[in-house]
Amino acid sequence: MVTAGSNKWGMVVDVDRCTGCQGCVVACQSENNIPINLEEHFNQRRAIQWIRIERYWEGEYPNVKARFIPVMCQHCGNAPCEPVCPVYATYHNNEGMNVQVYNRCIGTRFCANGCPYHVRFFNFWEPEWPESLKNQLNPDVTVRSRGIMEKCSFCVQRIQRSTRESERDNEVLEDGDRGLNPACVNACATNALIFGNFNDPDSKVSQIKEDAMKEGGRGYRLMENMGTDTNVVYLKKVDQSVEVTHGH
Amino acid sequence: MALTRRQFLTLMGGSAGAAVLFQACGLPEKELLIDSPAAMPEDLVSGTDNWYATTSQQGGVSEGIVVRVMEGRAKKVEGNPDYPLNLGGHSALSEASLQGLYHPDRISAPLVRTGPRGSSEYREISWEDAVARLSAQLTELKDSNEANKAVFVSNPVGGHAGLVLDRFVTATGARHLSYEAVENNVLRNALKEVFGTDSIPEFDIDNSDLILSFGADFLSSWVSPTRYARGYGEFRQGHEHRGKLIHVDSRFSMTAANADQWVHVNPGTEGLLAMSIMQVLSADHSDAVFGELDSDGILDSYSPVNVADVVGVSADVINKIAEDFSHSEHPIALGGGSAGAHTNGNQNLKAIYSLNRVASNIGKKGGVILNPESPIAGVSAPKATNTFSEFHRLSEEMKAGNVSVLMVRDADIYYGMTDTADMKSALDNVPLIVSFAGMMDDTTSIADLILPQHHFLEDWGTDIPVAGPGYEMVGFQQPVVRPFFENRGSNLGTKGFADILMTVAQVMGQDLGLSADTFKEVIRNDARKLYDLRRGQVVSSSFEGFWNGVLQRGGWWDTEAKERAEPAVKRLDGVDRAEFGGTNQEFYLQPFISTLGDGTGASLPWLQAMPDAISTATWQTWVEINHKVAEEKGISEGDVLEIRPSNGRVIRALAMPNPAVPPDTIGIPIGQGHRDGGRYSAGRGANVLSVLDPKVDSDTGSLAWAATRANITMTDEWIRVPKFENTVPEFPRDEHHHIIEITSGEDH
Repeated sequence: MVTAGSNKWGMVVDVDRCTGCQGCVVACQSENNIPINLEEHFNQRRAIQWIRIERYWEGEYPNVKARFIPVMCQHCGNAPCEPVCPVYATYHNNEGMNVQVYNRCIGTRFCANGCPYHVRFFNFWEPEWPESLKNQLNPDVTVRSRGIMEKCSFCVQRIQRSTRESERDNEVLEDGDRGLNPACVNACATNALIFGNFNDPDSKVSQIKEDAMKEGGRGYRLMENMGTDTNVVYLKKVDQSVEVTHGH
Repeated sequence: MALTRRQFLTLMGGSAGAAVLFQACGLPEKELLIDSPAAMPEDLVSGTDNWYATTSQQGGVSEGIVVRVMEGRAKKVEGNPDYPLNLGGHSALSEASLQGLYHPDRISAPLVRTGPRGSSEYREISWEDAVARLSAQLTELKDSNEANKAVFVSNPVGGHAGLVLDRFVTATGARHLSYEAVENNVLRNALKEVFGTDSIPEFDIDNSDLILSFGADFLSSWVSPTRYARGYGEFRQGHEHRGKLIHVDSRFSMTAANADQWVHVNPGTEGLLAMSIMQVLSADHSDAVFGELDSDGILDSYSPVNVADVVGVSADVINKIAEDFSHSEHPIALGGGSAGAHTNGNQNLKAIYSLNRVASNIGKKGGVILNPESPIAGVSAPKATNTFSEFHRLSEEMKAGNVSVLMVRDADIYYGMTDTADMKSALDNVPLIVSFAGMMDDTTSIADLILPQHHFLEDWGTDIPVAGPGYEMVGFQQPVVRPFFENRGSNLGTKGFADILMTVAQVMGQDLGLSADTFKEVIRNDARKLYDLRRGQVVSSSFEGFWNGVLQRGGWWDTEAKERAEPAVKRLDGVDRAEFGGTNQEFYLQPFISTLGDGTGASLPWLQAMPDAISTATWQTWVEINHKVAEEKGISEGDVLEIRPSNGRVIRALAMPNPAVPPDTIGIPIGQGHRDGGRYSAGRGANVLSVLDPKVDSDTGSLAWAATRANITMTDEWIRVPKFENTVPEFPRDEHHHIIEITSGEDH
């Protein structure tokens, strides 16, 4: 059960389920009014993807593998991006999320420098859409102007809307509610992404985390050695052909 | 110590020491809560959203979707969690349909050409005028007994739109051909021969424990990828034992990347490998099925030792695959994609699907589940399309002046047909080309008359999928928003495709026998037939309740209504060697589907900007080449290469070396190189389909699109490949700190 104020939002990413299909990437762009990444944006290495698929090569033809991993803001409990912001545009809220206040941001980009996961993206241009495509923009999400930092918000607008509406209607918001889930989670066909409340011991994410973080479990965190205390738990890729546990 | 935000800013401005001071104080939580972004400025919007269920059938893939609508505008697409085919997930193509709906280059009124053909000079006319022009032409042909000089080329249309189209072509006497740039005909033909079924069965990947797939890039583009991906997730981690995926392919596709074992074979030898696996199994098992399957004893000549060299896989590996297959409880074999796109494609696929006979998995958990007929008599799934050979003949007929009126709907033959079939110049010979496209595509850009159809999110329809879920189902497509160009009045704007046909027939005085005035009524009348069945997941005491129920749920299905018939075992046929266009060319040219489908997605910027799974390239046409081969030839990423098959055609593409490309192969994504299609696709990249040799599958006459060989030549040009890779810096990694942790699974 989800009630406002008592939550710690987090995600579980099962790398063994992920196929690298990019469905989450496009769903995120649709939900969050991410500017269209044109060819020149890629060429300047300034394309914006709040969630991205990283592809790692292993070996050579014919014994070659490509491995995929989705990476989004890890919503660190100990976030390196937060203390460097001179204007408090990025900070930790009381629901465990690392949030970005666009109208505070002055574009120093210190936070992007500080983020070891490289999930913060800067708007180098004023976002542009042809007039008719603006009809698709999500009215729940601010369009970021030039000079503003942006990143994955765990679709905070969905959390807000669904908790508000459930309170209004006196309904219980269940774990895994599709109105609550971020867009990427709902889009994922293989169910590689699971979202929920780590403060609720009965939530799916809590249960998976508890099991996965046991000795011999598949759980790990990205760059745990940095002490970031992330709210995203990854589950290891399984490959029966490997002799010992390794990675990229 | 309490600290207000204003004090904090002052301190921060003062000195670095202040920051330390602040950290020691902890977070001023209450202060922050006031401005919590979770309550601003999003909170200022109090609009109400509605989610409507409908179906998306773009590019031949059926998905149930729910669309979020606010203030009359569609905002977001998500998968319909109830819909049997995708159960909640959805593809990027479905998501991007919103950009099709609000595309800046949509056609907003009927158009008639004013300048020379292909000049893009059009004038708006009224619907009344447009319909009158088309019906006059069709009537004239009919009256002079030349009705067969009218040809209707459509995408594969099923459900009620297919019904209306069938009735329309019958009433007008026009010939109807359905078209797909990347045909499924070989697949459908092979499935028909092996399983006796007209539809594509449900492959129960979810419950399988060994998938042996041949050429079918089922996680990315093949038949129903969202559904297979859902099954794949469960196959991997949904059961006690993790399933194993062996993928046989002549190219390193996304499915190959996700496989436990990628078995690279020489192109066109997939069927030989399947036969060889069966040969091993037949030697090990005195299974009765071989008595029927191989009554002629042909398997003996396909022993691993015999075929290993041709296939390019060692006898040991073949034996090991056979062992894995026979030791699995629920093995399943799939084949398609490039395995069926050779001169021996049909033979390949028949051999591959026969493996399921050996596994005796037909109709069983984790196996091949045949689909029942449509629950509505006379309304069916899209029929198999016409083959490349038939379209080649059509181009000959056009040249001979036997086609007077060509009507096209979502079938871009100008783009999709290889230049060797001469379709482009043949189209010049057709006096009247009429398109129903709501957006310019290449064929529409040379049309004389355009009657623009609604976007599917504005229109009615039904979805009876070719690749059904293994039980009876009818998806319902409803308008989720009012037509975008409604403000242009009823005599301009767009109209529903089936409604346009019904109007044309009416003006011609032809009765389509539909006993309805609008397409919506046609569907509603037939929904009554489903209601009368009194079964399925929507049951109501009144028809009105039933109708609302199916629209809310996105359709009607009955999980109990399955196909019970057990098809007879089909005797194995031999598999010939594949033939290729050109023999001296250095590389096998492997076209593949990346993010743009068969080219229909090229107009949508989200799909253009979606990184290719393997190369992460976007927006361009690139050519995959083995990185060592590239190094030897002095080719680096972004070098513009000319691709030259033996047929004399040439396209240019950007070199994109990677370590997984077989040294004798180059891969080029399908989808770019459009002459039109709006601002995001026109004139961008190159169309690999246009340079293919006109080789066909010898059994079906379908295009053998993987049977072209080509040389590459370097040019002086270099263009940066727009790709996502390296957009963000690489993570610091060492042997102790991995980004992707991999486990053998043994420690579980």
